[in-house]
Amino acid sequence: MNYPYWQIGIPGGLLIGCVAVLHVFISHFAVGGGAYLVLLERKANREHDEGLRAYVQKHSVFFALLTLVLGAVTGVGIWFTIGLVSPEATSSLIHTFVWGWAIEWVFFFVEIAAALIYAYGWNRMDRAAHMAVGWVYFVAAWASLVIINGIITYMLTPGRWLQTRAFWDGFFNPTYWPSLVLRTGMAVVLAGMFGLITGLRVASPVRERVVRYAGMWVLLGTLFLVLPARWYFADFPPEAKAYFATVLPAMRHVIDAGMLAAAVSFVLALVFAVAKPAWLRAPLVAVILLCGFVVIGSGEYGREVARKPYVIANYIYSNDLRLAGFANFGTSGFAANAKWIDRSGVSQQAQGHEIFLMQCGACHSAHGYRAMAPRVQGWDAPFASEMLLHLPVMRGTMPPFAGNQQDRAAVAAYLASLSPPEQRGTAAADLGRLVFAHRCSMCHTVGDKFRPLAMAGTDADTIDGMLSQLDILNPEMPAFHGNDAERKALASFLASGAAFAGTR
Amino acid sequence: MSNFIPLPTPDPMPLPAPLWLLLTLLLVTFLLHLLAMNFTVGGVFITSLCSLRRKRDAMAGQLASDLLRILPTSLAFTITLGVAALLFVQVLYGNLLYASSILIGAFWMAVIPVLIVADYTLYYSKSHPNRTGPLWFSLLLLLAIGFVYVNNFTLMLTPQRWLEMYRHSASGLNLNWSEPSLVPRYLHFMLGAFAIAGLVVFVVGVWKRSTDYGRWMLRHGSHWFVAPTVLNFVVGMWFLLALPRPVLLDLFTGGPLAASLIGIGMLLPLAAIVHVVLAARTEKTLLHARLAVATALLTLVVMVAIRQVVRSAYVGSFLRIHDLSAKPQWSVIALFLLLFVAGLATVYAMLTSYFGKSGGELPAN
Repeated sequence: MNYPYWQIGIPGGLLIGCVAVLHVFISHFAVGGGAYLVLLERKANREHDEGLRAYVQKHSVFFALLTLVLGAVTGVGIWFTIGLVSPEATSSLIHTFVWGWAIEWVFFFVEIAAALIYAYGWNRMDRAAHMAVGWVYFVAAWASLVIINGIITYMLTPGRWLQTRAFWDGFFNPTYWPSLVLRTGMAVVLAGMFGLITGLRVASPVRERVVRYAGMWVLLGTLFLVLPARWYFADFPPEAKAYFATVLPAMRHVIDAGMLAAAVSFVLALVFAVAKPAWLRAPLVAVILLCGFVVIGSGEYGREVARKPYVIANYIYSNDLRLAGFANFGTSGFAANAKWIDRSGVSQQAQGHEIFLMQCGACHSAHGYRAMAPRVQGWDAPFASEMLLHLPVMRGTMPPFAGNQQDRAAVAAYLASLSPPEQRGTAAADLGRLVFAHRCSMCHTVGDKFRPLAMAGTDADTIDGMLSQLDILNPEMPAFHGNDAERKALASFLASGAAFAGTR
Repeated sequence: MSNFIPLPTPDPMPLPAPLWLLLTLLLVTFLLHLLAMNFTVGGVFITSLCSLRRKRDAMAGQLASDLLRILPTSLAFTITLGVAALLFVQVLYGNLLYASSILIGAFWMAVIPVLIVADYTLYYSKSHPNRTGPLWFSLLLLLAIGFVYVNNFTLMLTPQRWLEMYRHSASGLNLNWSEPSLVPRYLHFMLGAFAIAGLVVFVVGVWKRSTDYGRWMLRHGSHWFVAPTVLNFVVGMWFLLALPRPVLLDLFTGGPLAASLIGIGMLLPLAAIVHVVLAARTEKTLLHARLAVATALLTLVVMVAIRQVVRSAYVGSFLRIHDLSAKPQWSVIALFLLLFVAGLATVYAMLTSYFGKSGGELPAN
């Protein structure tokens, strides 16, 4: 492996997610908020409403402070984070899209200049010129979304780029348009949500007008989101759709939470902003903004998970290993070729830990986020070593293991060391369920959606016979590791048809 | 094992533009970033100094609040221009920079929250110009960020240190202390920043020299330029001698370009000092002020060029960017250039409209 692994105790992917969601939250506001400002300014000018104009001026300062500092610097933060966590993928993105970013930078530059001039120019520019600057801001901000959207969607659906390696093929990829429309809608929603913050802080009657106006942005924006969201998900890669439907209940919960949050903020905006603006209070605005954050967060999380096991689909895996040349690891070994691994006489288990960090550390930790310890409960080294051959078919759609038998043995030794000691003396009735949990549940459920085993009705002896030759029945499966008692208990459990769905 | 250098191989994809274009953009954007950074960091330093004398010296108080009006804006542009330079340096030196960033990862990542705090503190100071504490605080944070940058951009040049450093801390709790040029390089940059901000105060003073305040700025600005620049001759010499022997040899024997750049790089600031002093002491203020600005700006251009030559000398034995293959994306490059010109025109039009009515005063908000 080319780069060192940055050990910070949490998977790097989690850090990227945190920085990115914060940035996306503010940057979408930065896009929609531009239109919000200038349209409201136009309204104030047309209606000769100086109170409203004073509000827009106040909002423009809040807007500039939030977007130019927190928005802009967290954007740089994403650069920093992806370079630290996925340098190989970052380098690849840079080599493919540096001119896209250069164009985005032009818009960013114009955006910053316009935002400052707009915020400072209220009392020194004539009104038409000031509004023109507002429009310049909005166009530049939206144009930077137009650019970055091409790069983000490329990572999920690189489309023809995989064959041609051509900039425009990667840029205008299969999910480009639905994502652009979706993000534009989200920008409208967030413009309204942030408008509520400042709207609450001005005196009546401007307060009610502004709150109602901002509320309408939330409502219309949310309604607008419905169709492009469907369009966007319809264009997802089929594997990703299947994955969403079956694999992780947690994933489904995240998407459901996003939809619920959109619904909650819609209702709150309808009641407390549009219908009864006088009732709106700060805690309600906080709840609405939190909902907006959840919507953004679930959308970004969904997109990232849909990309699994890649960071750039069919090109670079989520652990920063390139598809090209992947097979070489199997012959010449991973540790032997990884530049940063300590090979000077460390124990097999320590070596396994290093390989684990490099190959699994982007998403897993030993005991924290997506912890391995509970996942490898009941595993011994030989079983772990065998399971490492089947990573892509496991729940979670992982990249295949990169390495030879020696590498695998090292990681297996490390994983087995994480497994908590077995509880002895388990009652026979529970043993089958326990063996299922330890040996089967990373790839199967009973009575649930993910690769269900419907074996009720088959007698235990037949199942027992099948368990003895799993790897022959299906080469994707490991041989059964366990003693006779465990095998028989598992067979009875499967024959009983008791449900087992939980992820570990 | 101990002699093994874990050098990441450059990206398998070709460069998306000819080398000369990428290198030019890298150096130009870095120069612009440097200018903005100098004014910002030096400006915050001068503002902090002035705010201490606010009670005794009304002019100092005036300058502090004048500078505070524009410093947040110049910080915004420091960041924006830095982003551009960071983009192009990744194309050419990404394999070195990613590795060194990870090695000092804890500090490198900390730049982001620290910058956010520094920026908001600066905005706070702008609206509370009577408080000096927050100003010094943001100065401290900005200086810390500069130190992390100097660490990263020296560490990326010395891969022979990497493995030992990674064994020391894989969390990135490393700094490049074993680099002998680290401290002089950092001081060189920061003193330069102080000097350039001083020069800006001096120039505004020249511009408004018909007023007491203008003459005050002229006098103080000239001191703030001259003192750190004189000091920077000493620090610069220290920096030069602290460079590893092969790099130093390469500079003086590797061809006429490098050696003459260093020579010019010493003469130009000397000329700038002379012109600043003459502008302050003689009748031909405007002429000498113009020459001072020209020579100071040329100094920065030459310094950026020397920095690139030094960088090439450091990495020459293991990375030759001239050998990287290129497959230019001409259609996108053309679009970029077109939009770049359109963007500049737009910003120019907005600025004209903004400053048009009141004859170029600083923003009043």
